[in-house]
Amino acid sequence: MTAWQKKTPLEWLTYVNKEVGVLAAEKHKYQGWVLTVDPVSANILLAHPLENGKMSISAVLGHAVQDVEILTEADDEMKEKLAHLFMPEEMRRCSQEELERKKTSLKDWLETNHIPVKEKGESQTTLCVAGVLTIDPPYRPEDCSSSNEIILSRVQGLIQGYLALQQCQI
Amino acid sequence: MQASTMKMPVAVVRLPRGPDGTSRGFDPSSPRFQALGPSSLFSKVTANAAELEREQQGRVALRERYLRSLLAMVGRPVSFTMYEKVSVTALFGASDIDVLNFQVSELQTPLGVQKEAVLRCSDIVAYSFEL
Repeated sequence: MTAWQKKTPLEWLTYVNKEVGVLAAEKHKYQGWVLTVDPVSANILLAHPLENGKMSISAVLGHAVQDVEILTEADDEMKEKLAHLFMPEEMRRCSQEELERKKTSLKDWLETNHIPVKEKGESQTTLCVAGVLTIDPPYRPEDCSSSNEIILSRVQGLIQGYLALQQCQI
Repeated sequence: MQASTMKMPVAVVRLPRGPDGTSRGFDPSSPRFQALGPSSLFSKVTANAAELEREQQGRVALRERYLRSLLAMVGRPVSFTMYEKVSVTALFGASDIDVLNFQVSELQTPLGVQKEAVLRCSDIVAYSFEL
């Protein structure tokens, strides 16, 4: 195992949002802004803005990383851009009241289906199902997280059905 | 009878061991982890609970971003740089949880197009795509 793979998540976090140069196996070189380092595989994910406004995303696999050199730190604008690159867009468009309404409506619906659901998180915005699954705003099937894939797919299926039902009513 | 028509006995191919029913492959004592997994889940701070909590939060933030990037990559053409100066492109399909294999479609190899394929991540140096 290489020195890069042996680093801890806290050490990898210090590279996030920095522009780095990566030296990889067979003398391949990569440069870009660090989006993340996968804590399982140690893969580094780099973003490189292109002239046409698009982003080129490259990943260097953890086992192939030989050296990582920090070049510059991102400014706030760049950090914002990097943070929202893979985040669902709807998340920013919904207003607070709308999210609150969505949350209550979904919670009621889950409860009528005999699914135990609680609110949690700093401002009670996250729904927690049976203590093993969380649904973050804006409460779509893809906003569910759980380490239990069976529960995950059941609940995602339920939310899908709930959204389809709502579509019918409109 | 079917059995009488089979002239040659078929050799049993031993397949690699899959994840066992209960573990997700991250348990260091699981057979899958020992067989395949680089122990990148190694933690240096198990003694201190607050420090461990901080490390776990960092791990979650890093992992979520990575998983979302894999989601964003689905169906897009991705070019893979492999060892021995091999470069191929394919449509990305899926990855397994411990990022050991990628499933891809329409793999453009020097020998032709492979409709479906699984790439071993240990053979890949880097991959890139546009967003």
